[in-house]
Amino acid sequence: MSVARACLALVAVLAIGSTAALAGTATGVGDPGVTPTSVLLGGTTSLTGSASQFSAMAVGADAYFRYVNAKGGVNGRSITYRYLDDASTAANALQRTRELVEQEHVFAIFNTLGTEPNLSIRPYLSSGKVPQLFAASGDTSFGRDYEQYPTTIGFQPTYTAEGWVLGKYLARSAPGAKVAVLFQNDAYGKDLFNGLRKGLERSKTRVIAAQPYEAGSVDVGAQMTKLKASEADTFVSFAMPKTTVQAFMLAGKLGWKPKRVITSALSSSSSVMQQASQGGTNRVVEGAVSIAFLKDPTDSEWKSEASMKLYGQIMKQYAPDADATDVSHVYGMAVAWTTVEALSKVGKDLTRASLLKVVDNLNAPGNPFLLPGITVKTSGADRYPIDQMLLQRWRKGTWKSFGGLWGYRAP
Amino acid sequence: MADFVQQVVSGLASGGVYGSLALALVLIHRATGVINFAQGEMATFSTYILWTLTANHGWSYWPAFVVTLLVSFAGGIGIHELVIRPVERGSVLRIVIVTIGLLLLINGAMTWIWTGEVRYVQGPFPTRTIDIGGVAISLQDIGTIAVSIGTVGLLWLFFQFTRVGLAMRAAAVNPAEARLVGVRVTWMLGLGWGLAAVLGAVSGMLTAPSTILDPSMMQVVLIYAFAAAVLGGIDSPVGAVVGGLLIGVGLNLLGAYVDFIGSSLQLPAALAIILVVLMVRPAGIFGRREVKKV
Amino acid sequence: MRVRRSTLRALALFAVLTAVVVVLPHFVSDFRAQQFAYVGIYLTALIGLNVLTGYTGQISLGHGAFMAVGGYTTAILMADHGVKDVWTIPIAAAVAGVAGLLFGLPAVRLSGLYLALATFAIAVATPTVIKRFDGFTGGGSGINLFGKPELTASLTPVEIFGLKLNFNNWLYALSWTVALIAYVLAWLLLRGRTGRAFRAVRDSETAAVSSGVNLALYKTLAFGISAAFAGAAGALFAIATTFVNPDTFPVALSIFLLVGVVVGGLGSLAGLIAGAVFIQFMPLWAQSVSSSAGAPTVVYGVFLILVMFVLPGGFAGLLGRLESLTRRGYDRSSGS
Repeated sequence: MSVARACLALVAVLAIGSTAALAGTATGVGDPGVTPTSVLLGGTTSLTGSASQFSAMAVGADAYFRYVNAKGGVNGRSITYRYLDDASTAANALQRTRELVEQEHVFAIFNTLGTEPNLSIRPYLSSGKVPQLFAASGDTSFGRDYEQYPTTIGFQPTYTAEGWVLGKYLARSAPGAKVAVLFQNDAYGKDLFNGLRKGLERSKTRVIAAQPYEAGSVDVGAQMTKLKASEADTFVSFAMPKTTVQAFMLAGKLGWKPKRVITSALSSSSSVMQQASQGGTNRVVEGAVSIAFLKDPTDSEWKSEASMKLYGQIMKQYAPDADATDVSHVYGMAVAWTTVEALSKVGKDLTRASLLKVVDNLNAPGNPFLLPGITVKTSGADRYPIDQMLLQRWRKGTWKSFGGLWGYRAP
Repeated sequence: MADFVQQVVSGLASGGVYGSLALALVLIHRATGVINFAQGEMATFSTYILWTLTANHGWSYWPAFVVTLLVSFAGGIGIHELVIRPVERGSVLRIVIVTIGLLLLINGAMTWIWTGEVRYVQGPFPTRTIDIGGVAISLQDIGTIAVSIGTVGLLWLFFQFTRVGLAMRAAAVNPAEARLVGVRVTWMLGLGWGLAAVLGAVSGMLTAPSTILDPSMMQVVLIYAFAAAVLGGIDSPVGAVVGGLLIGVGLNLLGAYVDFIGSSLQLPAALAIILVVLMVRPAGIFGRREVKKV
Repeated sequence: MRVRRSTLRALALFAVLTAVVVVLPHFVSDFRAQQFAYVGIYLTALIGLNVLTGYTGQISLGHGAFMAVGGYTTAILMADHGVKDVWTIPIAAAVAGVAGLLFGLPAVRLSGLYLALATFAIAVATPTVIKRFDGFTGGGSGINLFGKPELTASLTPVEIFGLKLNFNNWLYALSWTVALIAYVLAWLLLRGRTGRAFRAVRDSETAAVSSGVNLALYKTLAFGISAAFAGAAGALFAIATTFVNPDTFPVALSIFLLVGVVVGGLGSLAGLIAGAVFIQFMPLWAQSVSSSAGAPTVVYGVFLILVMFVLPGGFAGLLGRLESLTRRGYDRSSGS
């Protein structure tokens, strides 16, 4: 072990350190990440890892911001959205978020994907009074814990709300039905399941079998066998996309064709449904029901509608390589639109505190990317921006919404 | 009873997949003494090739299957030539790191080329079930078993009855002496990698129809393949296949009938098998016991 | 005479290292200091892994699991039992050390690739096992340490020796202090009989046994010691990331630890530092080459393969070659 050798190594270490050329916006007076002509939003999403199909949410939001910037921005400010990869893990999300806050000096953390990533960054952001805007997760805690974490707010309908609506729908449309449920064994699946049970309360429709599976695992053969053996006539799948596809394929393989099939919104994108139906050969999926709050790009009802035409144009211009049929892009635009609304309502004097004030008392109807009638609304005790949804049915390769608007009030 | 038979059949089908991949691992280990941590990724890459041919270019299945095998064969030889040969004579550790680097390279390449989006590969077998003695057996399972056994069988014939196969076996068992009788050992090693890649491709293409194709598709299968190879004996081709079938059926039955294991603990069960076998009888069922006497 | 020179050298090296470590934060930004804190954490783990792989010749693809043991011990002690973060470190090291001994004993019979496989199995099993015991470990949602009073400096800066340190700088100070202590401990351990026994095992197990070295004892000991270091590193890791869940210690971590030790260069401190820097900064560097999805991983993989081709001895090997070149030059110029 020679001194010279070690010195060389340490000099290398120093060299790396001193070439610390840090970008990041200049922190002038006031909050970081905001100047009279720009505002910097940052967030993490899953460019790689198990949730990578949802990175389309970030892509869609980014495309919409670019479109708005091209038209002059908001109150004279252009919006930059920097999204980093967290590889679908909470630990990485926290690391990258710290990087965004401490090195990139973002104004707010926006559209971070996933329940666990959002939970892991929440205390950190709250203590630094950095807004955690529109967390991309339906976990109830983001709206429920607003007193403890006033800087955090969600966006989409909570999983509990979703489960409740599905339960109520089953109770009304299929009294006496026997329900078998496959659910992911974490907050996501359990919230959906508990919501479903609440919706089924005091009805003749019963859950007669329920099988959990570990998050991340795709092989649900044993569970599907047991669910089929229960002789239920309704199959509810509260699973992630990959597992959902597996579950439906297995149902077909096992020769199980339940009368009614329900799938969670997260696993309802057209590509998932197409794969599950194995190109149409798997009949289990036909007639499946799910909730929706976004306009699906493959739904013929919206094809000639102005808002979806705009969607198509924005995708073509600002995200030409992306698959525009993926509804996650629509989600991104919906949440970006809401952000633009909030920013414009704050006005010229943009600070973290003033933005949070607007977001906590937001009334933004007319979001072109949400289904008609759905309003983004928050107030005093209601920190759930979206709690309305429609039901939709999968027929012949496309989703069709049916029935009236459903609403959920958190207890 | 019908349920039991169904579980056994689907266990044999998964077992066929694990066994093929395990056989690939064993082939490479016998020939080069290397555990190829990138075997799973190579298999996934081959499956992506199949997907590109069938879904993007509209080829029908079996021609695409064969072409994929050929491309995989060439790829395996290429990888050995470019990446493994330079470090073959080095320390075990160095080779391990190289195969890890290969794993990262191939995994990243797949995400880069095809993105992390989930793809669907339609299998060649219909997804119906047929009635055999009152039990609904999936045609896909039967097809999978047939293809894996067929591939392994063809390989066995190749090793037993062809000159090249004999040369490969010689090169694996004793490279120095094989050289003396004129076997081009380095070529044989490359050939071994090529065949292993083919086996991996078969394993991947059989896996894809019952799950989804994405860059991480074979990661768990690789672990089951390790378990199969360890159980059967890491230098025994027969062991790899038998180990695979045992693991496939065993885990399925455990998952279905032992509630404590359920299906969430199938992977740890496989890992436990690896650990227990390594601790108790490292040579596996069919392996030769190494006796070190001092 | 020989012994004293090597001791002098080691002391001088140590002094230089300490000086650099102390001075570095003044040159870099706050956030960069946090990144260098992680270098210190990885260095502690690598020092431990080096005892096992570099000195005793045993391959471990599972040291992330021992880091997980340490990390979760720390998290549970802090969250459920109100222990201050600094005091959890030795406890975490001890617990991980015991885990290492427990694994090492039955693993005595394994070597080479079999051991690699066995340790790999442990690494893969770790996240699942953590989730299984969720009453204890908080399962998938993990344990959040941020803002807890036991976590020094996480909310308000801490004062030490008259210096006010915010969280990032405190982390840096803590992790490098531990790393330097780890280095001293390892050095003391390896220069004596134990070190010689380890090296004997590495060079030839058969020969070692014939010369009377108790194989089982020393192999198990190597595991235990290296696991203890990894446990301390894991404790620091938990403190630094302020959050543990099964994903905090994935299989990739175990793999990257081995990569770090080999790429850095087995057996030399300079190599270990280079390895720790590599683990921390390589992914970031790869991302800067290209950030399109998948490309950084490709860059990482290619780089790894190239380093193994060109620098079989790792960076330490490169430094050694440079050093011998300069020495040759010096000898030549001084006229020989």
